[in-house]
Amino acid sequence: MLKPAVIARTLHKWLGFLVGIQILIWLASGLYMVVVDIDFIHGDPLVKNMQQTVTTPQTPVLDIAALRVKYPDATHIDLRPVMGQTLYSVTTANGRYLHEPKTGDLISPLDEETTRRIARYHFAGDAPILTASLITTNPPMEIQTRRLPLWRIDFADRFATSFYIDPYTGALATRRHQYWRIFDFLWMLHIMDYEERADAHHPLLIVAQLTGLSFAISGLWLLFYSISCRRKNRAVAE
Amino acid sequence: MGILKKLHKWVGLLIGLQVMLWLLSGLMISLLDPAKVSGKQWAAPITDESPALQSGVLLEPNELPAELLSDALSISLTNSHGQAVYRIKHGGDEALINAADGSIIQTSKADAEILARQDFVGNGDIISIQAGRAPDLETRNSSGNYWKVDFSDDASTTLYISVSSGDILERRNSYWRVRDFFWMLHIMDYSSHEDFNNPLIIFVALVAIWLGIRGFILLFSSFNRHDFYFLNLMRKPDEVVITLIDPSCAKPKQLSLRKGSNLFLSLATHNINLPSICGGGGECGKCRVKMEGDNPPIANTIEQGLIPSSLRKQGYRLACQQEVKNNITLKLAKGSATYDC
Repeated sequence: MLKPAVIARTLHKWLGFLVGIQILIWLASGLYMVVVDIDFIHGDPLVKNMQQTVTTPQTPVLDIAALRVKYPDATHIDLRPVMGQTLYSVTTANGRYLHEPKTGDLISPLDEETTRRIARYHFAGDAPILTASLITTNPPMEIQTRRLPLWRIDFADRFATSFYIDPYTGALATRRHQYWRIFDFLWMLHIMDYEERADAHHPLLIVAQLTGLSFAISGLWLLFYSISCRRKNRAVAE
Repeated sequence: MGILKKLHKWVGLLIGLQVMLWLLSGLMISLLDPAKVSGKQWAAPITDESPALQSGVLLEPNELPAELLSDALSISLTNSHGQAVYRIKHGGDEALINAADGSIIQTSKADAEILARQDFVGNGDIISIQAGRAPDLETRNSSGNYWKVDFSDDASTTLYISVSSGDILERRNSYWRVRDFFWMLHIMDYSSHEDFNNPLIIFVALVAIWLGIRGFILLFSSFNRHDFYFLNLMRKPDEVVITLIDPSCAKPKQLSLRKGSNLFLSLATHNINLPSICGGGGECGKCRVKMEGDNPPIANTIEQGLIPSSLRKQGYRLACQQEVKNNITLKLAKGSATYDC
C-alpha cells in the first residue's frame, strides 16, 4: 500500500499535468478582467453625447396621427434624439422607418455620410475615421447577437475603436475596441466556451473545474504534510 | 521563525484557500442551469409579435404634461396590456402615460398580482406582495419603486414588478440566490456582489498568479521523460538491480527497478516504504539511505540542506532526490523499511 502522502504527491503531480495550463489560463485571464476597469472595457471613455434629451416636435409637418395613418400596423413610435435633433422612429411588424418631423421625409436607411457624422458626434476622441462599411450578413463575432444591418465605423485611434450604428434608428448600437476584444477572448478562455463565448454550463468546463479542484485539494493536503515536516525538523534542531 | 517568513506562510495559505474558493465557486456557477437561474424556466414564453397600436384618437407628444416632458431621455408610444401608452424615461425612472387621456398609469398591488400570475407558470401560488424600492441586492440593475411578489414554489421564486411601468424587473429564485452567493465568493465583492475591479481581488489575483507561475515551473521540473514511458508501449524500459540491506535483517533483498524512475517512488511501488512525512517532496529529509560504493552521486541543494555534511560524505542521500540509474546497493537505517527477511 502506498502511503497517503505519496498518493497525494503523485495525484498532485498528475492532476497538475492535466489542468496546470488551464489553471494558469484561469489565473491570467481572471487577472486581466479584475485589473482592467470594466467601464473602460465597455468603452465609456470613448463616447460622448450619450444622454441626449428629447424635445417634442412643435408644429410638425408629420405628427403621430399622420404616422399612424401612414403605418397602420405600427407597434411602436419612438421619439429618438439623433445628433441633438428629435426624429420619429416607427416600428412595424415588417420594418423600421426613421422620419424627420419638420419635413416629414423618410430618411432611413441612413447613408454613409450621415452615419459618419453620427459617429463623429458620439466619438470622444479626435482621431480620423478610417473606414465605414455596411454589414448586412456574416457579422463579426463582436456583434454576434445584434440586429443587422449595422454600419461599422472604424477610427484610426490607438484603441482600434469601432462604432456600430443602426441605419434604421441612427442609434449607436454598440462600440468595441482592442481592450474589449482582448477581454472577450480571455473570457472565452476563462469559461472554455470556444464557439459562442457565452455559456459556462457545459461538460468540458465542469470536468476541468473538478480536476482543478482535486488538484487544489491534493495541494492543500500536501501543504499540511509540509507544515508538519517543518515543525518536526525544528523540534529536532532545538 | 521571522515575522516575514510567518507572514509569507500564512498569506500563502490564505491565497491558496482563495484559489480553492475560486475553483469551487466557479464549479458551482457552471453546474447551475442558466434557465433556472434566470427564472425563464418558470416564466410565460414571450410572444414575438407585439400587437399594433390601439386605434382611436391619441394625444400628440406635445400635448402631454410638460413636467413629464422636460429632460426626458426617451419617449416611446407603445402598447401596454392592450392600451396605447407613452413611456417616458428620465435617468433611471420611467413613467407610463395613457396615450388616450394623458393620465399617469401606476401599477397597483392588485395589478401586480395579475401581472405576476400571468408571468409565473411554475407550481406554486403567491404568498405575499410587498412594496420596495430598487436598487437593492436582488434588484441591483434596476431603479424605482417595485412590488415584490413571493411565490410558494420549490424554487422560492420572487418577481419584482415596476410600479411605474408594470415591467417584470427581475425574476429571482433560490437557484439565482445560490449562484449569487458563489458569484460573491468568486469576485470577492462581499457587499454589492457586482464589482470585480475591487482592490482586494486585484491584490489576491496578483499574488495568485505569481504563485501559479512558480508552481507551474515546479510542476514542469518534477517531470522527466521516464514519467511517460507508458506512452512508448513498444519498448520495454531498461531495468536495473537494487540491493537493499536492512541491518535488522540477515539477508539483503534484491529488486528490479525501472531505469530513470524516482528511487523513493519506485521503492514505494514495491512496498518498500521508506520513512517519510512529506511523501517524497524533499521537505522532511526522512527517506535517507546510504548509497554504497566509492562514487555516490553529487548531493543536490535539498540534500545539502537536510543531511549533515559528515553523513553526506559517507554516502547518505535522500531517496526522493535520486533517480534510478545503475545497479547499486542501498543501506537502510535500522528497521526503516520492511521487507521479508
